[in-house]
Amino acid sequence: MNCSELRDHFELYSLGLAEEPERSEIRAHLERGCEVCMAEVKRARELAAILASTAAPLAPSPKLRRRILAAAGAQSYGFGWAPALAAVAALSLCAAVYFSGREREFSQEARSLLAQARSQNIELTRLDEAFAILYGADTTVTSFGEKQPKPKGRVFVNPSQGVLLIASNLATAPEGQAYEMWLIPRGGKAPVPFGMFQARSDGTAMHVQLGALDVSAAAALAVTLEAAAGVSAPTSTPVIVAALQ
Amino acid sequence: MWLLPILLAVGAAERNADLVLRLQRRDPRALAELYDRYGRLAYALILRVVRDVGAAEDLVQETFLRVWTRSRAFDPQKGAIGPWLLAVARHRAIDYLRSADGRERNSVEFEETDHPSLFTGMEQRIPASDRARRVQAAVEKLSASQRQVIELAYFEGLTQTEMAERMGQPLGAVKAWVRAAWRNLRHQISTAEASA
Repeated sequence: MNCSELRDHFELYSLGLAEEPERSEIRAHLERGCEVCMAEVKRARELAAILASTAAPLAPSPKLRRRILAAAGAQSYGFGWAPALAAVAALSLCAAVYFSGREREFSQEARSLLAQARSQNIELTRLDEAFAILYGADTTVTSFGEKQPKPKGRVFVNPSQGVLLIASNLATAPEGQAYEMWLIPRGGKAPVPFGMFQARSDGTAMHVQLGALDVSAAAALAVTLEAAAGVSAPTSTPVIVAALQ
Repeated sequence: MWLLPILLAVGAAERNADLVLRLQRRDPRALAELYDRYGRLAYALILRVVRDVGAAEDLVQETFLRVWTRSRAFDPQKGAIGPWLLAVARHRAIDYLRSADGRERNSVEFEETDHPSLFTGMEQRIPASDRARRVQAAVEKLSASQRQVIELAYFEGLTQTEMAERMGQPLGAVKAWVRAAWRNLRHQISTAEASA
């Protein structure tokens, strides 16, 4: 097929919906660097992105922002969506979301399976990030709790990538609470929040906090037990303190 | 008024390069900024596809983590992170829907069509806000059948064959509607841009 014969199929291709033989034909044109088809596919992708604007405007829960940042090992910055918008969105959602009983059953079953897959994907991503810190050329290792019954473990600090904490003998946090890590700067400055995590039921925990840090300005890393939503300054005695070299 | 987040989201090309660079450096504030720019739009898109609030939020999270972990493959100077993120969001949602419906998943094809390297050279051509309005207006001008096939393709991820089954119409008729719908969209948008 020539380019003009494919003209009506670029949008479906860009949406991942082209069928044979057009899909293979477009793919072949792109693989041989056909500039006409490359431009058409680019235009179609742009159109596809803007078609998103035809979806009804609805806002997610304000908690989602914090959840995403926490899952990525980041803090929550700013205030997210304004509460008023969230309230309007919640009302809109009530009117917009529709389920049939059968669809709900299918949906719940699928959600359960996908949730497992998603959870594993996130865990794999976290492990990937942990390995990057673990094997970083500039990574330094500090042990903590060696002469104590609990908790104990190591922190791996990489100036350009972040911090990895691995601990054991850590009690499960009470309901509504979680562990929060802190960077303790030199010179008596205020502790800097360094992400939240939970201990597993076997008492182990792994926490990755991504982002560059100035190791020379850091005196220690500490962990306290805080409200699950996180706090901006520690409110309890540290359960872990690892003095950095 | 509700277009405002979209217009803000897709109209800031020159700030995108800086944002992508900071994402690539794993600056957590960049992820927060990315979410503030595109979170609402991605959520609206995903919810329109899956029609399930809980699943939509899970998929938004998956979308942002995917972009976060894959941003190093993105060209900060030429890449258009908004269209890429929305493509990832749509693909995640369609994949979920297909799986829940017992339809064949086409994750491999999505991998092929949402790779970050494919989203270059966009957004800068014309003010994105105008383009969004033109697409809105163009969709509204489509006939009911044409609008339906666009929605089935975009929001439900149906191929033309699947559309024909869903609509109980001959495949040839569906193909004609699809062809006419995209042609009309292209024509109306280009006409509007030429006269702007």
